[in-house]
Amino acid sequence: MRFPLLFSIALSLAASVAQAETPRDFLTRFEKEAGAAASAERGGRFFTSRHGSEWSCSSCHTERPTQGGRHAKTEKDIQPLAPAANAARFTDAAKVDKWFRRNCNDVANRVCTAQEKADVLAWLLAQK
Amino acid sequence: MTIRLRVWDLPTRLFHWSLVASFATAFITSESERLRDIHVIAGYTLAGLLVFRLIWGFIGNRHARFADFWPTPSKLMAYLNSLMAGKPQHYVGHNPAGAVAIFLLLSLGLVASLSGWAIYEDIGGEWLEELHEVAANGMMVVVVIHIAGVAVSSWLHRENLVRAMITGWKKAPTSHENSPR
Repeated sequence: MRFPLLFSIALSLAASVAQAETPRDFLTRFEKEAGAAASAERGGRFFTSRHGSEWSCSSCHTERPTQGGRHAKTEKDIQPLAPAANAARFTDAAKVDKWFRRNCNDVANRVCTAQEKADVLAWLLAQK
Repeated sequence: MTIRLRVWDLPTRLFHWSLVASFATAFITSESERLRDIHVIAGYTLAGLLVFRLIWGFIGNRHARFADFWPTPSKLMAYLNSLMAGKPQHYVGHNPAGAVAIFLLLSLGLVASLSGWAIYEDIGGEWLEELHEVAANGMMVVVVIHIAGVAVSSWLHRENLVRAMITGWKKAPTSHENSPR
């Protein structure tokens, strides 16, 4: 649940304008937060498995995220998630945080750890 | 002397509580993709309710009409000053502070539902998502202030405003223009 902190929205907006980032920057950030190197293999398993619930990441983003996906509920098209196929992915900190927060809740019913984010991003970066 | 008055007509009351339900539903489901269909249905419901209220503001019963409670700056200042002094002016219909909340909620609600519809239909860019969230969060801010205002006004006037919005009835002086007395 969100709280009406317009102030924090304004701050995150300002922050996202201030710094354009690359997918590698996010990988570095998550590895640093986790205190360990990422594993693309572990990320792939995380991405395609259901975490005791209904959906996996691949339910919407497919198991080949260089392709476009399809929303498992609304059946709307989703642009490819792998940076190799979609240069806009993982370039905006506010957006990356927002969608990890939302989608980890959708899939795993909890927030993801920094290690899990690092692993998933490493796997996505390996998709060509 | 006072009489019992039917202040809020049934459509206004149904609108009010349906808006509460649809906004609460949309807000609670906003972060979830699994509940995205419920969020969208709640949003469309909210939009339909707002369209109804805009029409009802012109053709509805006396205290439902916008002309009955249009909040001019001078009316608003006079009301807020009387509130600060602990002797609030009494309005049978909407007081000027409540009226500001109503017009803010109507406008923000229209922005939120229109931008939400555009996002869902993949029209426009990311700025629409920001606009959608700012409008929805703005609505929640107004709702919180509105609820606080209702609590304070109910206490100062010894008048249960929540019950009035459920039953439609208020106690009023025999002459009941919607103006301060």
